[in-house]
Amino acid sequence: MPLVNNKVGDDCTASGDKALADGKALVDSLIKVVACYRHLASCVGGCTDSLQLRDELRQTREKAQKLAGDICHHLTSHLRDKSLPDGQRKEMELLWVAFSSCLELLHVDMCKVLNISGIVSLADSASLVHTGLEGGCSDVAARALSLPNLNQAQTDSLPAGLESQECNTMELEISQIDRMIDDMEMKVNVLRWLVEPHGPQYADPLSSTDSASMALLSIDEEQQAPTSQPLCQRSHIFVLLLLLGVFFVAATLSLCIFFFS
Amino acid sequence: MTIRNALRDHGQRYRPRMACLKKAEKVLLEMQDPCTGVKSQPQRLVITIIPHAITGEDIIAWLADRFQIDAQEARSFGSMLVALGYIYPLQDHKRLVIKPDASLYRFQTPYFWPTQQWPVEDTDYAIYLAKRNIRKKGILELHEQEQYNHLHKWMNHKWDFVVMQAKEQYRAAKERKKPDRVVFDCQERAYWVVHRPPPGTVSAMDYGLDRRTDPNTDETQTPDYYERIMIFTQQSIMRPRVKSSVSIGALVKYSATYSGHDPFLSKCLPSSPWLTDDTTYWTMNMSNVEIPTKMRVERWTFSFKELLSDPRGRDDFRLFLKKEFSGENLAFWEGCEDLKWGTAVTMREKAEQIYKTFLARGAPRWINIDGKTMEITVKGLKHPHRYVLDAAQTHIYMLMKKDSYGRYLKSPVFKETLKKAICPEEHKFNEVQLEQNARNRRPSLSPIIIRQQEQEQRAKMAANAPVDITQLCRFTTPVPHLAVYTGIPDPPSVTASPSLPFLAHTPVCPSPISVALDSTSASERRMEASDGEGNAEVRAPEGGNLSKSRMALSLRRLLKRGCSPSAMFASLSPKCHTAATTSSRIQPITPDEPSQAPPRRIGNFFQIKVDIPPECRIYPIESEDEDEENRPASRDAVVTEEIICPWESLTRQNGTG
Repeated sequence: MPLVNNKVGDDCTASGDKALADGKALVDSLIKVVACYRHLASCVGGCTDSLQLRDELRQTREKAQKLAGDICHHLTSHLRDKSLPDGQRKEMELLWVAFSSCLELLHVDMCKVLNISGIVSLADSASLVHTGLEGGCSDVAARALSLPNLNQAQTDSLPAGLESQECNTMELEISQIDRMIDDMEMKVNVLRWLVEPHGPQYADPLSSTDSASMALLSIDEEQQAPTSQPLCQRSHIFVLLLLLGVFFVAATLSLCIFFFS
Repeated sequence: MTIRNALRDHGQRYRPRMACLKKAEKVLLEMQDPCTGVKSQPQRLVITIIPHAITGEDIIAWLADRFQIDAQEARSFGSMLVALGYIYPLQDHKRLVIKPDASLYRFQTPYFWPTQQWPVEDTDYAIYLAKRNIRKKGILELHEQEQYNHLHKWMNHKWDFVVMQAKEQYRAAKERKKPDRVVFDCQERAYWVVHRPPPGTVSAMDYGLDRRTDPNTDETQTPDYYERIMIFTQQSIMRPRVKSSVSIGALVKYSATYSGHDPFLSKCLPSSPWLTDDTTYWTMNMSNVEIPTKMRVERWTFSFKELLSDPRGRDDFRLFLKKEFSGENLAFWEGCEDLKWGTAVTMREKAEQIYKTFLARGAPRWINIDGKTMEITVKGLKHPHRYVLDAAQTHIYMLMKKDSYGRYLKSPVFKETLKKAICPEEHKFNEVQLEQNARNRRPSLSPIIIRQQEQEQRAKMAANAPVDITQLCRFTTPVPHLAVYTGIPDPPSVTASPSLPFLAHTPVCPSPISVALDSTSASERRMEASDGEGNAEVRAPEGGNLSKSRMALSLRRLLKRGCSPSAMFASLSPKCHTAATTSSRIQPITPDEPSQAPPRRIGNFFQIKVDIPPECRIYPIESEDEDEENRPASRDAVVTEEIICPWESLTRQNGTG
């Protein structure tokens, strides 16, 4: 996120803009971390669940909480500042709404992870649900933590009492987030119905369209109707015709060469 | 999980207990066990192989084996697991059922399992839809599109966040391997099919309304809690008991009678709107429909309560009672219902009006209840409350049930209705038409409009209300200056006034019976006599006119016997003009009451015979003799003062209370 370097403007507005930019950067990274956390959480309890995953979850969580604490301070201090100009206040409120939504998502995900670890225990590897996943989510965690790659934790054995310890820490963290949300609501009064978003209703499709997995998914759907064979057959026939055409062209060319040489 | 609002509303915001979820989780963990669970096989897609796919028949076989149940039940159980979202189909992902063939399913990851504690958030759904849109524009289906627009409108303030989060989740997913990405996409899609079902399907997680108490918290054993338990058990002991054979017999009888009429248990003609989205069934059975369906008419024969509770049935019954000239019973019953169910503000005036119309001595639509009930009612009316007329209402209800209902079922009115009743054809929709119906679903008429229509109907009905001709009498016709009756001096408004039209037909109006029976001489004489006593100079010439026109009218009326009383009264309006004008002069007449008493006595005598003097109508025959002596005395009280409600002023209570 490029910092708005407004040297011409008022000092106050310059610092305000910088604060805005800072806040935006923080919120963006929190959004990224929360998104990654969700992906990691979706693997919990499945067959790819492992200590490593839990470790990654923990690290992501810590990062998210740190970010959340920072943003909370930043935004609270700025929004309680009465002298904030209107435009900046609107932007701040937008960030505030995004921040509170992030916190809510994080809260739900954390509660769900806690719940699942209660139902499906890591210790009993047979009870891990066979969901069809095979690989781990370390890349996702790396993205969340903004590290090029994650150093793999090599603990194979499950330390005794890890689960209960984890439960406790998770509960603590959840309550912490709870309190943060409550605090936020108490301290700053943001009228949500007055907040207007900037972006369009439909997000532009990202340039690198995921064609491969799209294809896989669409074929998945086509498998449902065995009568939709004609589609596959048609494409086969087309390819065949194309090959035949090419073959014939090649044959005629070679014949020409043969006759004329 | 949502934004915590500081105000604790103590309202219904908790999801109910969903005990099935915990049990389903246990079953699922057993099922996915690699050794003892369902056999899994890899799913072959174009390039990749994704493991852990299971077939429908394997699932059903495993369930039947594990729980020792038959295949049909195992299939239902399996379908339930799919409907809840613990297993999702890989092919035909929108239909959440188990197919007992080689179609593939997979276990859902615990993150996407349904939970009782946390409701499914719209924010997540918005993010999911935005993500799908990002992946490929235009991939959203119609209902998803509509939902997306709706969410954009309602969650507008966090839309930036939604889009950003969708983008980030999409990018994070790219970090995963391709097969995992596909699996995750399938999982998420299945999750949303369960929780945001496509139109025409129902989510298995639907639970109706939110509850008041949180089932996740343990109830604290406070003294209040124990007191509640004690009260409950005490009331259980005090409950009246019925032999189980009797109650079960009643249940069986009820089920046998009504099962054919239940739209869920048996076929619904023309088609069940819940299944085919076609609302013909409802429009045909609306309350103001002209021709009812055969099933509906059959329902009226089950019990009197059924007849009365169906508005169309009540209309039919009202028509029948009108023909029998006992419409006041139903009107009284309806008035009592109105009182019971009405607002507290209007209660007093409603009670007053009902008393004046139905219960008072000399009321225009006097109902026939026994003396004891009348006593209780009138005493209760001193301090009117919602249920003050309960005893009288029950009496009248029983009267109608035992007497009129039986006759109604044998009457030509009912037979006619039964003959005209229609039996609609069954609809046969194909897939395309069903989809079209689902798309054309529109909300029904707003309840405000329906209430307005009902009120208009009621007003219209009141305007055309059958005059209970048997009840009209000089003793029962009200004094026109009563506040209750909206005044009618205006002739054009005579028949259009919402109040009971018999008001217009004050003592001077002849009763149709008398006219129809073509005995005008006596009435003319009577009329002239009474007129002469009053403002003679005005009435005498009018009396002559009246007699002539009355003759003509009566002849005409004889020819068309079948006309309704209201029509007859309408045709009497020219006379009513004079009647109204004379009626306004009733007050001056009243001082002359005693002088009129003797001629009226003669009128009573005439009453027994066919020709009836204009002022007298057929008073309830039963009470005729006993009231004869009381009449002059009470009449004075009645006519000099208005019909007073007993609670209005205790000093004026003399014979009316």
